[in-house]
Amino acid sequence: MGLKTLFKAGLMLDLYFFKNNRAAFISMLLWPYLVLSLILGMGTIFGNPESFKAKVGMEVDPIVYFVASTFVALSSIDVMWGVGGQILSQRWIGTLPYTLLAPYRTSVTLVVSYVPRYLLSISINILEFAPLIVIVSGAYQGVLKLGVLFLAATIGMFPLLGFSALFASLLLTIREESNILGWLNPIILLFSGAFYPAYLLPYWARLISQALPTTYTIELARTAALLSSPDLAHVTFLIGLLAGITVVYNFVAYLVIGAGERKAMREGAI
Amino acid sequence: MSKDRVFRGRAIVVRDLMKTYVTYLRKGLFGRERKEVVALRGISFDVLSGEVFGLLGPNGAGKTTTVKILSTLLLPDKGEARVLGFDVVKEANKVRKVIGVSLSVEKGFFWKLTGRENLIYFGMLYGMNGPSLKKRVNEVLNLVGLESLGVSDKLYEEYSLGMKARLSIARALLTDPELLILDEPTLGLDPPSARTLRELLVRIAHEKGKTVLVTTHNMFEAEIVCDRVAIINEGRIVAVDKVESLKQKVADRISLEISAKLPADVSAKFLVSLIREKTGMPSEAFAEDEGFRIKVVTPPSESRDVTSAVLKLLHENRCSIRRVEVKEPTLEDVFIQLTGRTGF
Repeated sequence: MGLKTLFKAGLMLDLYFFKNNRAAFISMLLWPYLVLSLILGMGTIFGNPESFKAKVGMEVDPIVYFVASTFVALSSIDVMWGVGGQILSQRWIGTLPYTLLAPYRTSVTLVVSYVPRYLLSISINILEFAPLIVIVSGAYQGVLKLGVLFLAATIGMFPLLGFSALFASLLLTIREESNILGWLNPIILLFSGAFYPAYLLPYWARLISQALPTTYTIELARTAALLSSPDLAHVTFLIGLLAGITVVYNFVAYLVIGAGERKAMREGAI
Repeated sequence: MSKDRVFRGRAIVVRDLMKTYVTYLRKGLFGRERKEVVALRGISFDVLSGEVFGLLGPNGAGKTTTVKILSTLLLPDKGEARVLGFDVVKEANKVRKVIGVSLSVEKGFFWKLTGRENLIYFGMLYGMNGPSLKKRVNEVLNLVGLESLGVSDKLYEEYSLGMKARLSIARALLTDPELLILDEPTLGLDPPSARTLRELLVRIAHEKGKTVLVTTHNMFEAEIVCDRVAIINEGRIVAVDKVESLKQKVADRISLEISAKLPADVSAKFLVSLIREKTGMPSEAFAEDEGFRIKVVTPPSESRDVTSAVLKLLHENRCSIRRVEVKEPTLEDVFIQLTGRTGF
């Protein structure tokens, strides 16, 4: 018995769910392009590619830039919704007590059984965006950029797991049926510079930005999007930074979640 | 407590278990008022290995709180509980490996998965894998009768309540646990489904050699299914014994049952309190189709006078009486005698 089985359980749950619920599968396929269309559509209303380039200060194709942003933003939301939101959904359908009866720590069960869904989701998103990136950037450049994007989303998941487990613990404790994540996600993405470069934010906002793991994930994705050929030194630096943040966030989460879980179990929140 | 001395032959040992819930009631826009609800007031009982033990009590008595503590889903405030020798607080993971739990029969599964897929998922979550998991899933689906009904591969959202209850028992059995903890397994089921499930529980306990802790507020069910019962009321255990021994406690009593129809302006609760006041005998009222059933427990020597008094009271309150029966004492009478609770 181990984490591998827990991981496999999460994978089977998703495969069964999509097998029996094709509408949900089609929605998942359409969602990234809907978000991208919305962002590009709004961008066209408020400006044009030249003014965008002037503001960002780099020679950048807005489509590739926003594909990278959309991809990472969706991935980040997915992690936070997936780990935190499943507390709520499982509470509503009554599976939460049985999930928590798995002989692991609650946070470990929630996080590890979620990871396959995330990997499945980003793989599908990458495949969906692949034709667009290849058309805009060319075959070689496109594949290289897609590789870095996948790497960014995968590595970016690790610090977010601890971060999201903290929210899951909070949701367990407060017993609120309304969803904190609904308003928290956009704020986090705003401070992380998902749709506008973080260095353009006010000074105080940049301090918050630097503490968020999503900032570096988005930066890593942008590296793939902005440069004509991804700068491997910069990519390595960002990966190292994310690894460091992963250790810090997951360690803090480990300490805090234990207390949160005990509080929830003391108060009868499960 | 010395583990060897106390736990030999006992699947569950509970000592002085206490639990109080703190809730906050909203007052105005920002204010809130702290409110304490005492769920358990120091309960103690043992469940012997291999027996079907019933925790019997009305709604709000503390049954589900006890079950959640024993299942490691809730921490007690004080006291100690051990399951198969493991402390439910300090050794929660070890407890989880040796128990099977069913907390609610009407939910607790993924609606877009079939019964079989749900069991495979939970089996993996509980550490099972590969062909042995599939084999075990088939076994439990057969055992609870879902396979013979041909619904194992139907989506859970298409299940009837009876099928959901069977699937819930199947999940509890998945890991072949030594102890089953079942919270109100027949709640909400129609009589035939409830009967089938009760027969299933008895079969599982006796043929498979499982220890079963089952909670219920249904006296009839407890009498049929349980070897021993603990009667719990307002967070206290008021009696623990074999069903027959408990019934002996009211052997010197008879039970007078009257079925009647009420006028719209009279409540059964009012009538029960009136009967108690006039006769001094413990009584209980139960809702029935188009009316109610009143039960009065009385010594045989006083039964004639009590019957006359009750009939007179019902007549004065414009109730149309349908049936009057005198019965031997049942577990229900024990419950009324010990708790004095009404069903309304």
